[in-house]
Amino acid sequence: MSRFVTPALQPLLRRRDFEDEMAEEMHFHIEQYTNDLVSSGVPPEEAARRARKEFGSLDNVKEDCREARGLRWLDELRQDLRYAARLLRKTPAFTATALATLALCIGANLTVFAVVDSILLVPLPFPSSERLVSVFNTYPKAGVPNDGCSLPNYYERRGQIPAFSALAAYRDGTAIVGETGSTEQEQVTRVSPDFFATLGRGPAMGRAFTEAETSASNDGVAILTDAYWRQRLNGDPHAIGRKIRVNGFDRTVVGVLPPTFSFLSSKARIYFPLPSSPEDRAPKNRHSGTSHMIARLRPGVTVAEAQAQIDAHNAVMAVNGPDAKMMADAGFRSIVVPLHADHVAPIRPTLLMVQAGALFLLLIGAVNLINLFLIRANGRVKELAVRQAIGASLRHIVSGVLVETTLLTLAGGLLGLIVGAGGIRLLAVLGIDRLPLGAHIAFDARLAWAALIGAIVLGFAIGVPVAWFSLRGHSAPGLQGEFRGTTAGRAAQGLRHGFIVAQISLAFMLLVGTGLLGVSLRKVMAISPGFQPENVLSGRITLPGKNYPDVPSLIAFIERLTAELGRQPGVLSAGVVTNVPLSGFSNKSAATVKGFSLRPGEAPHGFYSYSVGGDYFSAMGFSLREGRFLTAADSRRAERVCVIDEDFAHRYWPKGGPRGGAIGQRVFEGGSETKNDADAYTIVGVVGAVKQAGLIEDEAQGAIYYPFGHRFDHSFYVVVRTSRLSESLGIALQKVVRTIDPELPVNDVQSMETRIGDSLVARRSPALLAGLFSGIALLLTAIGTYGLLSYAVAQRRREIGLRMALGAQPEQIRRQFVTLALRLLAAGTVLGLAGAWLTGKAMQAVLFHVPALDAATLAGAATLLGAVSLAACLLPSDRAARISPMEALTEE
Amino acid sequence: MGKNAELLPGTLDMLILKAVSLKPLHGYGVLLRIRQISGEALDIPQGSLYPALYRLEQQGLIVAEWGQSENNRKAKFYTVSAEGRRRLREETASWNRLVSAIAAAMSTTPDEV
Repeated sequence: MSRFVTPALQPLLRRRDFEDEMAEEMHFHIEQYTNDLVSSGVPPEEAARRARKEFGSLDNVKEDCREARGLRWLDELRQDLRYAARLLRKTPAFTATALATLALCIGANLTVFAVVDSILLVPLPFPSSERLVSVFNTYPKAGVPNDGCSLPNYYERRGQIPAFSALAAYRDGTAIVGETGSTEQEQVTRVSPDFFATLGRGPAMGRAFTEAETSASNDGVAILTDAYWRQRLNGDPHAIGRKIRVNGFDRTVVGVLPPTFSFLSSKARIYFPLPSSPEDRAPKNRHSGTSHMIARLRPGVTVAEAQAQIDAHNAVMAVNGPDAKMMADAGFRSIVVPLHADHVAPIRPTLLMVQAGALFLLLIGAVNLINLFLIRANGRVKELAVRQAIGASLRHIVSGVLVETTLLTLAGGLLGLIVGAGGIRLLAVLGIDRLPLGAHIAFDARLAWAALIGAIVLGFAIGVPVAWFSLRGHSAPGLQGEFRGTTAGRAAQGLRHGFIVAQISLAFMLLVGTGLLGVSLRKVMAISPGFQPENVLSGRITLPGKNYPDVPSLIAFIERLTAELGRQPGVLSAGVVTNVPLSGFSNKSAATVKGFSLRPGEAPHGFYSYSVGGDYFSAMGFSLREGRFLTAADSRRAERVCVIDEDFAHRYWPKGGPRGGAIGQRVFEGGSETKNDADAYTIVGVVGAVKQAGLIEDEAQGAIYYPFGHRFDHSFYVVVRTSRLSESLGIALQKVVRTIDPELPVNDVQSMETRIGDSLVARRSPALLAGLFSGIALLLTAIGTYGLLSYAVAQRRREIGLRMALGAQPEQIRRQFVTLALRLLAAGTVLGLAGAWLTGKAMQAVLFHVPALDAATLAGAATLLGAVSLAACLLPSDRAARISPMEALTEE
Repeated sequence: MGKNAELLPGTLDMLILKAVSLKPLHGYGVLLRIRQISGEALDIPQGSLYPALYRLEQQGLIVAEWGQSENNRKAKFYTVSAEGRRRLREETASWNRLVSAIAAAMSTTPDEV
């Protein structure tokens, strides 16, 4: 940066030297000439006089020299700056208002821009990251839009897709790391050997994983992130070859990643190989989406080309694929999408909307400032006319205005940076780091550049209309006295009124947008999650396979855990489940009801599938529609039973339908009936549907709950319902788990109410920000209206005085100004109404069941804006009504 | 001033380059040298000398350096740069072409037409 700035600043830095040397050089010249004249016989005084006279005006010569060196613009700029600073100092109220406006508007924009920049604009931290793509399987007709990728997908595609220079698979998970007594649950990612090569960034120390390390018997290695290496291994330079204990087994550290390594929003601190057996890679597992796939496009290859090749490859694979027919019915396809864009796609419309809101605010602030400047410029009409009459060029007047506005916006930009820094901190409190890539948001040099460039652009944007007015307004009538009666005066008034109308309509649009967000948020918050979240605590436990090798050991642990928890004071019930609602994950898999074979072309449906143990349903507060809940005993019994939710039940047994009820019917796991009837689960209960993916989930996906003993998982959530939720319960939960198994940590301990709140972050934060913006916009509108009317009153003082002298009542005068304010308000609101409709339409993507035009919101916005504008015009109108005719008429 | 020739517009830069190409000079020295080498015929207006010097320095055609004058005073001396020397050659050549062309034109007699 200094490479660019130093040459530009050099004339400034060396200016004093330049002046001194120039003076000395010319002094030397005159002295030499004088000496020569004296030696040729001229008397000394006469010689000195002649030397100076023949040299000409020293000042003019110096000025010409400065111009020759390209320094003249600097002098003019300095003059303009000094003049502008003096003007701003002379009107402290004006300057303070303008600076506060700029600080708030620029600060709000910088805050939002920091988020937009780091999430949407800054490329992922990998070389040529624009060539990274994600490939995922979709089964739209089965209600499964994204199922990741399977291990067979990875092994079949590796090296077979010419569009990709590299391709890799990964799977997120958790692991218990550390020695007995000091274990911790860590986020880990299991990756194929080419994962780091695909990204283009590998370990800074050591090596990546090898092909040999993908077999389950040989995968005892680990690559650490820089953070883990520093915290847990104290940044040991000889860390390669050291052992860490993971899930009770030793793993050898083979690599340490560089500090800047960061993969999407992953919180993983350790990387393991992604192990699999030949069976895992067999075609029958082609549609078990247990992993995710990333790939790197070859240079010059487009996503569309890669998509065509993947489609062709899938078609070849389907020829003898075991489930090809069924998958085709489910609408199976593998989609190639740009990695970065796909990752941030869910949040993109919201971010752009908030940025648009911030820009609206900036626009309102700018319009406000233009009006304030115009009002002030009007007061300077005579001065400008005089300046021009004595020879100030047009360029001079324009540059004077631009220097002043830019000086102001630069100072405002500086203050805006401070406001922006505070804003970013506020966002952190609002939980912005939970957005995709949200952890990357920072106050950095890019932001400072944005502030600088923004401030200069803004300075010109404000300065140009003001300069234009100054050029129009300076003409001769200005000198002759009353300005307002002239054509130029009327034009200026029209301009000011136009700007205030624009400001009111912009503020109206912003208010309506905020209102819509609020209505939408309230609607979302009013949705029942389907369970009773009050006083429910949940946490995640992963049992290491080494210590819990079989179902009895798992069931024994779960039974002891729920029993111990039940003994804790205040605990009403406790249970476990493979996934809690709103956890951020969802696992859908097919289930087939006996006797309901799929018709040709019909797709199997993916249901949310859970395994439950203990008293899960009563702990979470499910409602029972029919039959009974699953209990702890169902996990012990050989007889297979299950519970479905009402959406599942309605799908097959609509109320009052010919087929009767769901209870007693039998269900198979997977996409088809099996020969062995003993594999079927008998439905013993129907429960209410819960929201899994989010409160706004509209689709009746259907859910099925199996007993933990029949369909187990080593990772699950423990759920505890208490009479009164307290901080200490989380600690008690940890303690209970540790008394059963001292090596086990509990992860992600949160109340269910917090989970619901967190799932709303992407809705609540924008609504809060928009509310903040609207508040500022209202304040700015009030300032704008007040400023305009105060000016109008001051300008028409003599007219008012005259009318009052002729018998006008104060009430009439007051009404005149209130009417003016109302007229402007009405014009602004009508204009804003059209804008509000467009705003509402543009916002549909981020709104939940709110129409583009919401009558209550419109009325509310109009009322609020009207109240604020009227309040702002009362003071000036009152002042007008109290003008004394004598004083007004006698003063000049 | 009768014997003095009028300085043609645009020739001042060329004359300064010529003067400082002979020997490093300070500003006043440039003035004297041009008067001398023009056979006392050319007198530079003093006020336009310095802006011209600053312009040439800005263009990189001459280089300024502080040194000692003949009477041991601190003075700013100008020398021609390599770039300035090239420019001087070009300007001299084009000046010579102009002079011979104008001379040829002006010496034309009626029977040559």
